[in-house]
Amino acid sequence: MGEAQKGLLSVIEKLKGSTEQEVRIVLLGLDNAGKTTLLKSLASEDVNTITPTQGFNIKSVASHGMKLNVWDIGGQRKIRPFWKKYLENTDLLIYVIDSADKKRFEETGLELSELVDEENLKGVPLLIFANKQDLATASPASEIAEGLNLHTYRDREWQIQACSAVSGEGVQDGMNWICNNIVNKKK
Amino acid sequence: MAEDDSEWVLESIVGYLGSPEWVVPVTDFLENKCTVFDDEDENKLAYTEIHEQYKKLVEKLLENYMQEVGINEQQFLDACTSPFAKSKALEAVFQPVLATDDFQMFRSLMVHKNMELQLQALRVIKERNGALPECLTDGVDVMTELQQQEMKILQEVLKKSKEEYDEEMSRRLLLEKEVGSTSSGCSSKLMAECDEAKNTASALSQHISPAKVNSNPVRKEGSKTAATGGGAERSSSSKPTSDRGSDAVGARVLPAVRGPVKSAEPSISSSRHAGEQSNSSQTTSEAWLEEAHREAGFSKPYTELSTSQQEQLQQRAAYLRQQRDKLHALRKEQQKTKQSSLPEEAPSSPTPAPSTTPEAVGQSQRNGACSPPPTSPPPPPTPHCAPPAQHSSNQKEISAEEKKKLEKRKHLADKLKEEVIKK
Repeated sequence: MGEAQKGLLSVIEKLKGSTEQEVRIVLLGLDNAGKTTLLKSLASEDVNTITPTQGFNIKSVASHGMKLNVWDIGGQRKIRPFWKKYLENTDLLIYVIDSADKKRFEETGLELSELVDEENLKGVPLLIFANKQDLATASPASEIAEGLNLHTYRDREWQIQACSAVSGEGVQDGMNWICNNIVNKKK
Repeated sequence: MAEDDSEWVLESIVGYLGSPEWVVPVTDFLENKCTVFDDEDENKLAYTEIHEQYKKLVEKLLENYMQEVGINEQQFLDACTSPFAKSKALEAVFQPVLATDDFQMFRSLMVHKNMELQLQALRVIKERNGALPECLTDGVDVMTELQQQEMKILQEVLKKSKEEYDEEMSRRLLLEKEVGSTSSGCSSKLMAECDEAKNTASALSQHISPAKVNSNPVRKEGSKTAATGGGAERSSSSKPTSDRGSDAVGARVLPAVRGPVKSAEPSISSSRHAGEQSNSSQTTSEAWLEEAHREAGFSKPYTELSTSQQEQLQQRAAYLRQQRDKLHALRKEQQKTKQSSLPEEAPSSPTPAPSTTPEAVGQSQRNGACSPPPTSPPPPPTPHCAPPAQHSSNQKEISAEEKKKLEKRKHLADKLKEEVIKK
């Protein structure tokens, strides 16, 4: 890690020399999956006034002695082409799925499979949040995992976590997995 | 590597970061690109692109420098991480370098720069006009007050009109009772009265065109017409007459209401603005659109816009570039006189070069579209008559948007003030 940046910029990166370990996390998924809600929930902010993201949001969360810089990039179709500009030096990918939006499971699966093929995300651990479990029509995480063929992913760590970003349920479990995984990987 | 070695390297680096070779291109970049950076919570996609450009610029500058001085990256790193580099004073010097690796830091640099420039513009306005236009200072929300006033007047007019109508009706009923039983001539009498109403109505609608009608008589006439017109409606024989009557009332009442509002609204009735309103409200709304798009930071692909919008955007972009260049020229001039000590931190001189002042003001006035020209007095309280009803609804739309803009601007002014006080 850190090798992706070359020359002087990597020097500047070291220059920061902060005592904390910084982790870059990118939060992606279709529009209306709940990425920004999840982000705000991670940062313990109000989740009631969220509008569709046209650009991107960043929050830094301290967890397990690490500084997690989480980048939430808008998921609308017209913004998705910009996703790959944010993947460089990513330590972990969070992919959010609206578990109640069965009609778009295929679409979200396609986007995810395109993402994991990106060079910049090679070997990068993947956490999938099966969001909106608070809705009655939500599919269980196991079903979604099957639909996404997650078991065929061999080149990276992955985990699927059922959650509700609105209620906060399951979010911390996901964060714990992230921290354990990053610590393992970085050491 | 020897300690003193990194010491001189550090000194040299710090010297370079304070020299014009570094400061001028970096400051130019910040000033050129900072316009889209606002302090909204959400980042625009354009920020990332600008950050990438910034990284390239800094990389190129530092590479050139290191080549020139003859140090390698390791020496650079050693020097910058040595204990000497950790002082508070040097932190600020290194900030623009570190901003390449830290988007958040870069963003705050840009937001700050944008505010700085806006503040500068505000100061220029103040110097030119003696005081800031009302819309750029805080105070009572003029618009709401005016709207309330407008509503009050409207209600009063309606009440008065109804009173007179009721009066007329009771009078008529009485008359009908008196006449109805005795003769069939009553219908002809009614007809005659209707004709009379018709005459008044048409006379009034002819009256509408002249621009200067005193508001009070107009209102009374309007309500009188309402009464007679309404009366005519009762007699089934003259539908067209009553229609006409009420039409005239509609046309009458609205201008009478608009009149006082306009006069009491110095911020809106600036010459440019008023001209725009009366010319075509479409131009105005397009201008808003354009403005809105600019404020949205071009997040929408340019190609999705219609050609006319593209054209307008281009015009706007060209205009902004021009204004920006002028501000730069001003800045550079100041920098030239102040290049001795860290020019980046140096406050710019309070008296701007006279050659650039008018343009800068032009920009600010354009941005703050509702600042009135200092010399023109508010228009006389006589109402401008005869805008068709549709037009006045357009005006209302504009004032709603205007209000939003005003609020936004006021908010910005507050922010700027806060920022200044903090510094």
